[in-house]
Amino acid sequence: MSLPGRPVPGALLDLQSIEKWYGEVHALRGVTLQIHRSEIVGLIGDNGAGKSTLIKIISGVIPRDGGQISWKGENVTLDSVRQAQALGIETVHQDRAVVGIMSVARNIFLGREPTRGFGPLRVLDRPRMAQDAGRLLRSLRLHIPSVDQEARFCSGGEMQGVAIARAMHFKASLVILDEPTTALAVTGVQTVLSFIRRLKEDQIACIFVTHNLHDVYAVADRFLVMVRGRVAANIRREEVTVEDLVQMQLAGKAEA
Amino acid sequence: MAGPRRSAVQRAQLFVVQNLIWAILVVAFLAFSATLPNFFTLQNVHFILYVASAIGLLVFAESLVLISGSMDLSIAHIAGLSSMLVGALTVRWLPFLPGWTGIPLIVLVGALLGSVNGFFVGWIGINPFLVTLSTFLMYNWLTFYINRGAISGVSPALVFLGGGRVLGLFVAIPVMLLSCVLLGFVLTRTRFGGYVHAIGGNAEAARMLGIDLRWMNFWVFTIAGALAGLSGLLYIGYLASIPSTIAGGDDIFLAFAGAIIGGISLKGGEGSMTGALGGVLLLGIIDTGTAMTLINPALRGFLNGLILLLAILINKYRVELRDRFLMSRPGPVGGAP
Repeated sequence: MSLPGRPVPGALLDLQSIEKWYGEVHALRGVTLQIHRSEIVGLIGDNGAGKSTLIKIISGVIPRDGGQISWKGENVTLDSVRQAQALGIETVHQDRAVVGIMSVARNIFLGREPTRGFGPLRVLDRPRMAQDAGRLLRSLRLHIPSVDQEARFCSGGEMQGVAIARAMHFKASLVILDEPTTALAVTGVQTVLSFIRRLKEDQIACIFVTHNLHDVYAVADRFLVMVRGRVAANIRREEVTVEDLVQMQLAGKAEA
Repeated sequence: MAGPRRSAVQRAQLFVVQNLIWAILVVAFLAFSATLPNFFTLQNVHFILYVASAIGLLVFAESLVLISGSMDLSIAHIAGLSSMLVGALTVRWLPFLPGWTGIPLIVLVGALLGSVNGFFVGWIGINPFLVTLSTFLMYNWLTFYINRGAISGVSPALVFLGGGRVLGLFVAIPVMLLSCVLLGFVLTRTRFGGYVHAIGGNAEAARMLGIDLRWMNFWVFTIAGALAGLSGLLYIGYLASIPSTIAGGDDIFLAFAGAIIGGISLKGGEGSMTGALGGVLLLGIIDTGTAMTLINPALRGFLNGLILLLAILINKYRVELRDRFLMSRPGPVGGAP
């Protein structure tokens, strides 16, 4: 690991000494980490370790209280979701990122719909949305009967697929997946893991947040273990077994 | 991708269930026609539409707010207060203003009163029920404070939209219908409209996808206020004067009722302007029908409520039936439900 304050050259995303307070709670205590291009990083840790807070900061949902973030070597403020999206950071939030009453196609484009015309006459380009959505779902081998189907009738795995399709369409360089497999049955987990491998083929980096170590071990190149607001370990997959990771999580708990 | 592979019968059933409000409308219309000799006439249909125009705009305004996942208790009193303010302005305070200036002014005042709700809901983050409960009281009593009794001598230009006719047709009717079409267009064809549905359907997801809830709420309440201002203009036309009770009474409850029987969900996200129009027309039919049947206005009000309860009950089963249809997916799709 590098020293705080010195950006690591060549990193896609570089976080230096990130701090976050929630009132009296010190949620992040100087988090420093790097993510490289087309790398799958498993972010693991017990509940309350700061995983969710960290990814909310990276995706622009909440502001940080201290520290520096650079993206492809440039310092960025990262103070809104829009900015994160514009940089190419897409986040698939834990089963809440889908509006159930809207169609699958509308969900994929929500917030950034293609439009036709200009000025006040700008209207949604619905045929294009349907076409692109269909193509994306096919490329993910998701067999949803129709892109016009309301998203609430999708299974958990399909919903994750919809959210991942969104990330792929907008040409993200980094996709953050927050607990993508937690609420899923076994087949759903396999589907999501195949999506993640698919992202890597497209040279998209991925942060996979979970506390299910077996799921993440199947796909990750590297693991970051968070304990009480700090990155306690940064290990490559070859150097570690699932059992080691379990021990690290438990050790973090015992320390707390 | 291919559309849902449902059989023709299934699709027909789904169509009926999704458009049930229109079936109810026809039944209600025929029922009144069978019992009242003068109900089934072109003249009466014209009158029903006319009566439904002002309350219709309030229903559309409330529908917009409900779809966005909020509610607006003050909407009828925005109509009342903006009429009163613009009436007092053009008749008493600034009588040199030409009458027609009242038309853009009333819409503007309505938007301003609505934006107060929007500011507190969107930017301060107060529950919409509490915000609009407060403005409901404030706007109502401010209307009385400005003038106890009625302002008469309103400029003909201000009466025209709500009371005038062109080739025998009340102008209020196309005003209402055009607002419906325009709002429907915005809701289904524009980004803004999509975000109204999105924040109503799942505000947290919308926020995480970068939709600014503060501005969205602000504009939803502001647009609703503008529609209410326009509704106030139609009320002025009905009465050719501006009493301090204008758009008071049951109107706020009817605005909710029309939206809900038109299939707009109180939970937010769901509903269309087509449905809301159906709700408006049903309100018009019930109101006209009961007015022609019963002499006692108290009993008439009671009956209005009873029929609304029935319509809401039917709608509840409509939603359940619709979900059952949509759930039954043809062919293998995999995954848990």
